[in-house]
Amino acid sequence: MSDDGGWLNNYVNSLPERGWFKFLSKYVVVPYWVWREPKPKLPGGPRPSSQPSDNVQRMMNLLMPLKDTSPIGRAKAVMALAQNVDEIFAGLDNVGTVHSARFLLVEDYICMISVYDGDFSNYIRDFIATIGSVFDDLMHLVEGGEALYPCEDHVEEFIDWVKAHDLFQAPDYAINLLHVQDEAAGRSPDAPPHELLSLPRELILQLHSNRNISLGGGYRGYPGYSAAQVRDKLGVGW
Amino acid sequence: MNAAFNPEELQGNILRGYRSNMVRHLMLEVSDRAKARQFLAASADGTSSEIPAITRSANWKEKPKLCFNIGVTFEGLRALGTASRDLDSFPLEYAEGMAKRAVKLGDFGESAPEHWPAPFDQPDRIHIIASLYSDEEQYLDQTEAQVAKAFTVLGVRNGRNLPDNKVFFGYVDSISQPRFRHVFDPAQIKVDEPKDPLGTVLLGHPTHFEGMLFSIPQPDVLGRNGAFNAFRVLQQDAKGFEDYLDKAATQLLDHPKGDLLLAPEDEKRVGKDLDRHGALREVVAAQMCGRWRNGVPYELSPDAQYPEKEVSPTNYSYTRTSRCPAGAHMRRVNPRGGPIVQRVANYSRRLVRRGMSYGPDFDPENRDGAERGLLGNFIGANYGAQFEAVVCDWLNFGLQDPEITGTNDPLLGANVPETSAFELTLKDGGRIRLNGFPRFVKTRGGAYTFLPSLPAIRYLAQISD
Repeated sequence: MSDDGGWLNNYVNSLPERGWFKFLSKYVVVPYWVWREPKPKLPGGPRPSSQPSDNVQRMMNLLMPLKDTSPIGRAKAVMALAQNVDEIFAGLDNVGTVHSARFLLVEDYICMISVYDGDFSNYIRDFIATIGSVFDDLMHLVEGGEALYPCEDHVEEFIDWVKAHDLFQAPDYAINLLHVQDEAAGRSPDAPPHELLSLPRELILQLHSNRNISLGGGYRGYPGYSAAQVRDKLGVGW
Repeated sequence: MNAAFNPEELQGNILRGYRSNMVRHLMLEVSDRAKARQFLAASADGTSSEIPAITRSANWKEKPKLCFNIGVTFEGLRALGTASRDLDSFPLEYAEGMAKRAVKLGDFGESAPEHWPAPFDQPDRIHIIASLYSDEEQYLDQTEAQVAKAFTVLGVRNGRNLPDNKVFFGYVDSISQPRFRHVFDPAQIKVDEPKDPLGTVLLGHPTHFEGMLFSIPQPDVLGRNGAFNAFRVLQQDAKGFEDYLDKAATQLLDHPKGDLLLAPEDEKRVGKDLDRHGALREVVAAQMCGRWRNGVPYELSPDAQYPEKEVSPTNYSYTRTSRCPAGAHMRRVNPRGGPIVQRVANYSRRLVRRGMSYGPDFDPENRDGAERGLLGNFIGANYGAQFEAVVCDWLNFGLQDPEITGTNDPLLGANVPETSAFELTLKDGGRIRLNGFPRFVKTRGGAYTFLPSLPAIRYLAQISD
């Protein structure tokens, strides 16, 4: 694509807005590429990093699909959490590495959005070890949750399940998507570099596998500090 | 012995150390399934004179000439024909294997699996690690020859005890270990640390967390009473460590607060023959580790390596005003009952450690840079809850205490001189910050292995294709 004049360039540049081209892309081109170059679903949560600052204030965007998405089903999910909210908050406080956490009911999902320090599985394990039983009610209401009931007896499975339902976090810089995909596909770091032009296609194909994603790792107002460091400085104990 | 488990059905290296002088670890590939199974069956029965018997956990009257134990990797279970349904029941960390967990374990840079020497450069080929313990080399040679008839020996690592139970950094090691309910260990009679539930190391038993069990891999006979082991080849840069102590002590000689770190009158209590520089070296070494090099806990004797009154090597805890720095190696890996951010995690991440040194002797007076280090086994019931939790959150990121968050363990951590930092504690509660030290311990190989029970070994031996 070029910004120089000329009717051909102008026409090519206008293709993405043309109805016939949109139709072709949606029903032929994308399905063809999905068939030709399927992208595996990329795992959720922050990626491992050796940088200390990457290991604090990590984001969890947990989407738990509701079995019953009717208002009654949704109300049950709300109730399951609402009646245990004190225990949940006390549990998060005792885990000690959590900056913030909240629950959302969005479309067909009950969501837990939180910011925590350190390793993901320790966060979840400590949480369940402290207040595991309060998640039990919820497990009856979400898809795949039955196999995890009671949570205290299925901690590893619960951790795996949470990880599988935590949103994939797209890299902060778009170009790094190629790197993440390569790693997932086991492509050698010495393999020839990708055409930069292929990035939009790779993103579209990835969004086919990961419908919901987190756009980057998120904004941090005080990067590099742990919850305990902040609490210590502010004198609220840790 | 008791109802909790039958010691005859347990591999012997889990609940106790053999205190042998030598170890030989054989990295094995299952190249002939039938032969491997035959070997395992005979090894579990212990009736063949041609095949070494698995050493059990039972107490013995006379110590065997040779102790023999095996750990099986995930690829090893597969190679022995374990059904994929059963393989799926093993935890993710184990299935991925140590090399794939590198970033979490601090194995990057020179420690990255890409730089591991053979046989660890081909982790998928390592199926079994057989560990042979003896006081005499002939028994190791003899047993290795027997093992080599059934497996392909990909590599060998020899270890030995250094005099006085020391490691190459000069510390007396292996002082504090978990002690278990239901297990009598004469070495731990005077220890008053809380007892650890058996589920800390054995699958299928109660854990530290009330009501919480770690999943038992299936079938039950394969998983129950097994344990997971992280085998690590850890190169110790003894020369780099001693050189750094020189440098740090020289800086501290001129430090305005140096007397608060070590009062001149205490120098001789650190070492009779030491000058101030020499004594400061020992203080830095002691604060970095949490023990003086002779094993005395820094917490109980912050001013003297040789306290006038004997102090317990194990019975103490940490407080907010501890003289033992929050960043000290021992306090990082085992914060005891001390204040930690993860309030529910005190005493929950205990590991059984068994290690022996490898490589040539080291003379601190005449330092050479030859490769030497530790062959370590770190045993627990769950990698994620114990080994990886300690290495990732505590050892490498210091999340347990806001004062050390963002710094690595001074002895074991993935340090680089540009960013490394360690704070020495002073008598008045102040700190002196040390910088510029390199990484003293590099990973040179390793594997995640499962230590199956005797019934599990029999089960693996009788799988048919």
